[in-house]
Amino acid sequence: MDYQLKELEKLVRDADVAEVPVGFDPVVWQAFVPGDNATTPERVALGKKLYFDERLSKDGTVSCATCHDVTRAFTDQRKVSEGIRGQLGRRNAPTTMNAALLQTLFLDGRSPSLDHQARMPITNPIEMGFPDGESAAKEIARDSEYQKMFRAAYGRDLNYEDIGRAIGAFERTLVFIDSPFRRFLLGDGDAVSAEAQQGFRLFNEKARCVSCHPMNLSNPLGTDNRFHNIGVSARTQNFELLAKNALAALAQEPSEQKLEELAIGTDLSELGRFMITKNRSDIGSFRTSLILNIGITPPYMHDGTLETLWDVMDHYNKGGEANPYLDGGIEALALTEEEIDQVVAFLFALTDDRFRSENQRQMERQRAQAAEKRPFRDDDLAFRRKLVFEERIKK
Amino acid sequence: MRPKHKSVETRYMEERQEFFHSLKGLDRRSFMKVSAAAFGAAATRGLVPPTSFQPVRLSAGQGASAAEIHIAYISDSHLYEKDVNDRFVRSLLRAVDDVNQLDPQPDFVLYGGDLAQLGQSKELDLGAQILKELKAPVRMMVGEHDWYLDLGEKWKSLFGQPTYSWDHKGVHFVTLLSVVEKDFWTARGMSPMERMKTVAGLDNGVQSPFTVGAEQRRWLENDLARYSDDTPLVVFSHSPLYKLYKFWNFWTDDAEEVQAILRRFRNTVVIHGHTHQMLTNRIGNIHFHGMLATSWPWPYAPEGIPALTIQMSRPDPFNPQDGCGDGEVRVHSDGLVDKIYNFWNRNPVTVAREYTVSWGKESVPARPNRPSY
Amino acid sequence: MSRGMRLASTWAASFAVATLLSGTGSGEQEKKEGQEKPEGKALADSILSQWKRKNPERVSDWMAEEKERHTIQPPADNSDLLKGGEQSIGNVYGQYTEKDVLMWARETEKLVVEGSRIFHDAGALGSTVSVSCDMCHPHAANTHPETYPKFQVQMGRVALLRDMINWCVEQPVRGTRFEPDDERMRALEAYIYAQRRGKNLDYGKH
Repeated sequence: MDYQLKELEKLVRDADVAEVPVGFDPVVWQAFVPGDNATTPERVALGKKLYFDERLSKDGTVSCATCHDVTRAFTDQRKVSEGIRGQLGRRNAPTTMNAALLQTLFLDGRSPSLDHQARMPITNPIEMGFPDGESAAKEIARDSEYQKMFRAAYGRDLNYEDIGRAIGAFERTLVFIDSPFRRFLLGDGDAVSAEAQQGFRLFNEKARCVSCHPMNLSNPLGTDNRFHNIGVSARTQNFELLAKNALAALAQEPSEQKLEELAIGTDLSELGRFMITKNRSDIGSFRTSLILNIGITPPYMHDGTLETLWDVMDHYNKGGEANPYLDGGIEALALTEEEIDQVVAFLFALTDDRFRSENQRQMERQRAQAAEKRPFRDDDLAFRRKLVFEERIKK
Repeated sequence: MRPKHKSVETRYMEERQEFFHSLKGLDRRSFMKVSAAAFGAAATRGLVPPTSFQPVRLSAGQGASAAEIHIAYISDSHLYEKDVNDRFVRSLLRAVDDVNQLDPQPDFVLYGGDLAQLGQSKELDLGAQILKELKAPVRMMVGEHDWYLDLGEKWKSLFGQPTYSWDHKGVHFVTLLSVVEKDFWTARGMSPMERMKTVAGLDNGVQSPFTVGAEQRRWLENDLARYSDDTPLVVFSHSPLYKLYKFWNFWTDDAEEVQAILRRFRNTVVIHGHTHQMLTNRIGNIHFHGMLATSWPWPYAPEGIPALTIQMSRPDPFNPQDGCGDGEVRVHSDGLVDKIYNFWNRNPVTVAREYTVSWGKESVPARPNRPSY
Repeated sequence: MSRGMRLASTWAASFAVATLLSGTGSGEQEKKEGQEKPEGKALADSILSQWKRKNPERVSDWMAEEKERHTIQPPADNSDLLKGGEQSIGNVYGQYTEKDVLMWARETEKLVVEGSRIFHDAGALGSTVSVSCDMCHPHAANTHPETYPKFQVQMGRVALLRDMINWCVEQPVRGTRFEPDDERMRALEAYIYAQRRGKNLDYGKH
């Protein structure tokens, strides 16, 4: 983890730890800091230590930083993440960069706050594997240094919930919103290329992105924090059947643990938000991902199946993937190749300046890959030459 | 700062804790009993289809009375030819998929009218072709958009007479052509397309108000003559059969006369289209329910909304299917119905039998958090 | 053809038609003395309505036709200005006449009625899918112009009424956005505001 810590030092200076991020609306920022966990240097230092500590996993091989790696844009840049004993999960790890500004956490939004989410992977059997919070707390309480730090940070004995709070406090320092695009919004007309500016125009108009990915100075993340079914996994799932199975499985073993296991470990994970709310309207829905720094956090979507931003554009351009619960706002966009390039150029302009070289590397790598293969591309659907249901209407 | 309102996630976590706490230690059989009981309790509260921790859909035998009839409906598709406009075709196909996936399948599917947008042959042919994909039998009803280009020629050749009745499991069903308009087009020298376009404009004041008309009222009286007052009666009509808002033809001009014919029956239910929104009304012993459209939602009229109606919250124009959908009608043995609005990208809403029976006091459906505008 | 020219030619055309018809009428009467006038009038009416159908843009009563089709709120009544009072005497810029007030009303209505015409016409809006505004907004219901400026959720930013009109033209109507100074945009705005006459301003309301 040392290489990560070294990288982190370059990115976040300890001195700035407790302040509102530069240029961010202080009133809005305060709304995101929980009342019982104001950011203090002690809490941040404790959280940092925990974030990189592999003792938080049952077999001592996995820490938060394993899947939310400082040198990999605070994620792991893998399709799905790998937990203890080499187990693979089913979901792509979101980045912890700017996670403090999200309104719900986890791709299915089952966590109401960052402090709550931060402690959940610790007890997930695939991720970090402790049977429950108490055993995790007992494990790290063996280190007297931790005991001292917890008392200094929270004025009470080490406990599981405070583990989450401390990590949350640390994550609140991981705010990276200084992209060239932000400077453009603040008035610097030359901050982004003409191509990217045109892409921004399309983003707001023809490409329809802005309605689910709004970006403005008060909400720079580019997510509406709502849950939509855009059909990413629909090509491989039968949602009706899955929903029936989910309810049957829960009827057989109605425990909280079972629900967690089902949500992460099985096909039922594909039901997304439905597993949380049981609302029919949420079948196959996942939270709109934030698009700040999107260039450096491939692969994309909840299951990591879209590898480049060009693949993402192809998916939307053809109107997602038809399924009975597809969000009605998803439709064929009729974007030309040039327009797709413009939107992608805009997306790459959303990366914080501190990651400029990684952004450049990703842009080149993704562009090379996209030049070779575009597996999700379907121009006939995109331009409505062929309609999704065409074969069904026998003319 | 403690938030004033609990977020969905917090409520979910608390609900879950409570739910699982109460289930700890139950064996499987007891669990099924508990969940069935919970389901039954929820059903009487009018919370039938999905709320948290309830089954996805009503399965046969749970909370159903013996003579229950299960109807699905699709309405107001307003099709253009697919080269002109693909959006309405997509929506109708989504509705057909929804109905085909019901398990068990309904007794029949009601098509609520306005299959075509401008009454064109190609539009009606396209609609007929799509509706052929429905597995359950289909009963068709005419809307004004289907009729006023050629005054019903194409419709009759495809679907037969617009007015008819039949009996099913002890309930008498009637389908009316309730969009009869007094001739406004001859005096103005309108072409058929001009006439159609006039009728197609909801707010076009040149057209006449909808009526059932004297001829059809006579037919209705004769048709009902042999049924006793106790017979459960369900009437399908495109216009509402009451007077809501004349400017948008949410109106049947001879509503009082029609209601007079229906008055003697112990329970009558009217299922109507045209309004593209959630609507509930009760006049005497006649219970009125509106159907959702697959094509687009109408806003609520500035006046005339019945007191029993719980309005749906304002649809989001970014999602052209918001506020649209299809639905189901469950007819109980006494002829009264649970009306299920199956919204797309929203939870279904049920207007249960008890709601109209109690004049809006019991089983009140959830109110929207936002104005319907 | 510019608006001025169009009005002038309309006036000229209706004058020409009137002359033509009166000529025909009197000719008929001269020939058949015993015939009653109503028959002549019926014939003239039918010729005129045939001509109107063939020449829609040159009909001077297009406003009346549009108003018959779609109820439109009338503009404010300014006749109070005609009441006079001592200060209006000798006030160069403060004296208004009945004809002034009538002209203002007619001109204002013209823009609003033109807006109503476009609002209800998918072709005029440039729609590629035959969708017109009135399909979701009969009588401009549910447009709530009195709530602008506001954060328009669909656009992710603060918008004015015309921004939302353009959004609708591009998205559900699938046409091409109007330039800010496009006459059609001005007419549409005029009609939408007109229909909400009397509502309180309430900017920022979702």
